[in-house]
Amino acid sequence: MNGRALHFYLAGINNQNFLMRDKETGTWWQQITGKAIYGPLKGAALEIVLSDELSFGQWRSEFPAGQVLAPLAKYTKEYEPDWESHVAKLPVVISFPGTELKSRDVVIGLTVDGAARAYPWETFAKQSPVLDRVNGTPLLLVLGPDGKSFRVFVSRIDGRDAEFFLQAAADASAEPSAEKKDWALLDTVTASQWNFQGCATSGPAQGKCLDRIPALKDYWFDWRNYHPDTTVYKH
Amino acid sequence: MHSLMSSLSPSIAQNGLADRDVRRASSGWIWTAFSLCALVAVGLFFIPAFIIRPFTHQAPRPLLLAMALHQRAPWGALIAALACFALAFLLWRTVGLWRKALLVLTLLVVTFSAVMARQNYFEWMFHPIAGAQFIAQAQSKLDAKEMILAVNFGNDARAYPISQMAYHHVLNDVVGGVPIAVTY
Repeated sequence: MNGRALHFYLAGINNQNFLMRDKETGTWWQQITGKAIYGPLKGAALEIVLSDELSFGQWRSEFPAGQVLAPLAKYTKEYEPDWESHVAKLPVVISFPGTELKSRDVVIGLTVDGAARAYPWETFAKQSPVLDRVNGTPLLLVLGPDGKSFRVFVSRIDGRDAEFFLQAAADASAEPSAEKKDWALLDTVTASQWNFQGCATSGPAQGKCLDRIPALKDYWFDWRNYHPDTTVYKH
Repeated sequence: MHSLMSSLSPSIAQNGLADRDVRRASSGWIWTAFSLCALVAVGLFFIPAFIIRPFTHQAPRPLLLAMALHQRAPWGALIAALACFALAFLLWRTVGLWRKALLVLTLLVVTFSAVMARQNYFEWMFHPIAGAQFIAQAQSKLDAKEMILAVNFGNDARAYPISQMAYHHVLNDVVGGVPIAVTY
């Protein structure tokens, strides 16, 4: 923040999205938005860094030299490999009856120039790759070869809108856990092959990479709470 | 002489009466001040703790109140608690057994509040990572299917297993020279 590194700690909870404070100023920050909601830096916002939610297998193949956060032996008992099904059973304290989705439905949430849209995970996983347009920007949402990782790109090659489809369409119904070496996307503009990182691996566009859009896997109630104007992808 | 004495003694008696009244009146004020201090110390801890408790809905205004009180609680509750102790000291010799018990009980709750206002009990539940260590992926025992959060700046790529982040919640890290906060 303003050239000064802040260090954060867990400070509370706000409707099941946590609050953190920084050691330097004591300001309160909302986890999901990165916005300062109380204290000396109120009104400031942290820059959201592009990040991925990937399976370890997928990430390992992309970043062979990457480093992994080591588990702390003291807390290994607290780590729950099955956290997802555990959390899904917890009650929610805020809900939006009458909206399109159920509170604990998992969505991919993204914003393009202030316009928010949520993509129900189940619909997305079934249809991937999903092509959509938000605020005039053509988007490509892709489920990874592992059937668990996802990424969102601007589906534009050198300023031209492009459509993408899975090269081996038959593979879409195969075991999602099996890693497919021949997994590739094809685009309709240059007929190049693209990998899950959004880079063309062969064809006329080889070497080019698509722009990324930050996206968040979240529960509907949480996404909707912080993005009241969000639309929901339907198809 | 005699007349002087007789005229003197009632006046002494009167003075003594007024003195006791004054003492009683001032002890009333001390009790009021003591109660206020106790309420401040206890409120500064318990009100935010009650509002920011898990599994309940937080409305915007109470949340602001909670943060405002919590922000002031570490010093506020301490000063209020010290004032409580000073006032209790003044009251101690003027009161009977029951009120002494009341004083002690209140001081216990006040002390608890002042101490708790300086504790981050959220970190008792979810311990922060002090001095995070990173290992090469070959050393990691993670299953290929386990989900991770990943960032990369240039060639500096890091993975944060979600099973670990879902417990610790926050990690301060520097990747490729960029200070980041990883949250889940």
